[in-house]
Amino acid sequence: MSAVVVHYEDRIVTAFTAAAVAWTLIGMLAGVYVAAELVWPALGFDSPWLSFGRLRTVHTHAVVFGFAVSALIGTAFYSVQRTSHVRLFAPRLAWFVFYAWQGTCVLGALSLLAGMNASKEYAELEWPFDLAIAAAWISFGVVFFGTIAKRRIGPIYISNWFYGALIIVVAMLHVVNSLALPATLTKSYPVYAGAQDAIVQWWYGHNAVGFLLTGGFLGMLYYYLPKQAERPIWSYRLSIVAFWAFVYSYIWAGPHHLHYNAIPEWVQSLGMVMSLILLAPSWATMINGVMTVSGAWRKLKTDPALKFIVLSLAFYGLATFEGPMMAIRSVNVLSHFTEWTIGHVHSGALGWNALITFGTFYFLVPRLAGRPLWSTRLANVHFWLALAGVMLYVIAMWGAGVSQGLLWLTLDELGEVRYGFTDVMAAMAPYYALRLLAGGLFLGGAALMAINLWRTIAGLETVRVAPPAGALAAETRS
Amino acid sequence: MHVPLSPLLIARVLRSPGEVFAAFAERPPSARRVFFRFALWLLVLPPLFAYIGTVTFGWRLGVAPIMLARPVVAAISASYFVLLLFGLLSTAVIARWMAKTYGARESLGASIALVAVVGVPLALGSAAHLYPHAFLNVLVLVPALIWSMYLLYRGLPIVLGTDPGRGMLMASSLIAYLLVAWVSLLGLTVVLWSRGIGPRIGA
Repeated sequence: MSAVVVHYEDRIVTAFTAAAVAWTLIGMLAGVYVAAELVWPALGFDSPWLSFGRLRTVHTHAVVFGFAVSALIGTAFYSVQRTSHVRLFAPRLAWFVFYAWQGTCVLGALSLLAGMNASKEYAELEWPFDLAIAAAWISFGVVFFGTIAKRRIGPIYISNWFYGALIIVVAMLHVVNSLALPATLTKSYPVYAGAQDAIVQWWYGHNAVGFLLTGGFLGMLYYYLPKQAERPIWSYRLSIVAFWAFVYSYIWAGPHHLHYNAIPEWVQSLGMVMSLILLAPSWATMINGVMTVSGAWRKLKTDPALKFIVLSLAFYGLATFEGPMMAIRSVNVLSHFTEWTIGHVHSGALGWNALITFGTFYFLVPRLAGRPLWSTRLANVHFWLALAGVMLYVIAMWGAGVSQGLLWLTLDELGEVRYGFTDVMAAMAPYYALRLLAGGLFLGGAALMAINLWRTIAGLETVRVAPPAGALAAETRS
Repeated sequence: MHVPLSPLLIARVLRSPGEVFAAFAERPPSARRVFFRFALWLLVLPPLFAYIGTVTFGWRLGVAPIMLARPVVAAISASYFVLLLFGLLSTAVIARWMAKTYGARESLGASIALVAVVGVPLALGSAAHLYPHAFLNVLVLVPALIWSMYLLYRGLPIVLGTDPGRGMLMASSLIAYLLVAWVSLLGLTVVLWSRGIGPRIGA
């Protein structure tokens, strides 16, 4: 029997990577536009389609569902084949995942622009889209776990544990939080009411951050960092311990979004304590990453991708420290609802998620194309633009958030709030301008990446790679 | 040659940092000498500027100035000094601790010298505290911070004698520590303030 029949299914990885890059540009452009609207409100042009409320949800939808999830599915499909030494299970279903997901994201973004909104943060899409997401997501799980099931290597590598947790937990969160009674095709009402609805929503919201933006990307880290550094993980045992500690403690942390709200105080305290405990597994992973890369310093000179990953680890450390700290109630009293929270989210989303994905794409695309990156120099320029953008963003939001919190809590002689909405907004204006600049720098860097990756792979077929010989023989026999 | 440790060193750091780094690398100063003759004086500047500025103009967060009583401002400035002192010494100690991992020189004196030199643009930028308008301070201190980061990445491999690649990783690790220290400071301040310890800025 011929031994060349089996190849990894990598064309789908190329497709998801291209989609993720497109969503990066769309999502970040929407972000920069709403940042500009906060500086020049006239940019809304009195059109509901361009209003802040609609475009802002398009921004989060495009970066989380479009960019982050496309990047996660693509990198998961690439790494699960190589850590299992088999071709993807059910490739046609994998292509269904691709088209279903991209279709849902595009139509979903349009529905948000048209004003259809379930009013749940990060779960704004209405019920028909929720059903489509569930179908695509479960198919993703079937392809992923099917591949693991037919693996030719005994142990399941740590990156697959994180990707697996992402699939299972996000499915659970999405289904439970989206339970709703449809009134019409475009409007539904949640089955939960009042404080229960809030608790379910933030159980979903925070664990979406936890298992998607943290856990999923840790899966990416655990595969692509050792590959780039050409060294094994510093401590495999630590990675396993951190995984279980992470899974156990993250799921409880949601109520810290509801401090001083109408939910039981013990639920708030539980959320706060579990958020603080979460620091240990988060940092265990950071230490593992830092120690892995510290042995690979010789590669830093030649490999622009590695720099992105080193920096992403620093921001991962910052964001996972800042988060638990902001979950402490007496810090939250000042930080909640202020721009500080926005800064915190972006130190995670830009500093950690975007940078590690960019580093991974700079590694992945030349391998998919079978030729070196078009321009290392351009990638280096991108690195500095990204660093400047995220630092400026975070600093502007710290300044804005702390000022905002102090002003809100300042009382006058009668014990009334001293500064009104317009006073505080006027004080924010310069910070918003600085944030616009920061977002523009980051978007500019991402655009350079898009050009660089496009020039690397344009006109080429995705390289066909076969599993190692022993595994190949085993698979063709079966 | 010995690096002459005097305020004039500030000018040399700004003009030709490479020479200063090379001189420190050649003859690492003792921890005590570089601390008392150089680093300490840099640490005095920001609290001093903050005191003068706050007493004269009050805090400006973009609304009417918030005036505080002199003893309160003095206490805040003194705390600021203590925190800067802690920041400098803890960073130097951590740099010495990390040195082994990154094949760098394990010398407290060299580490203090490095951190102090890196802090020069920030210490000078703190002149913005003379007019404590929050956004003005952000505008002035962000470029100062970029300059300081540049000095850290450039100076660390020279002063602590390690390969530039490993120096880059070590500098990034130090930045991660400093970011965390900064955020802790922010959190600690808010906790104290929300518990009633600190200035009353309203009525």
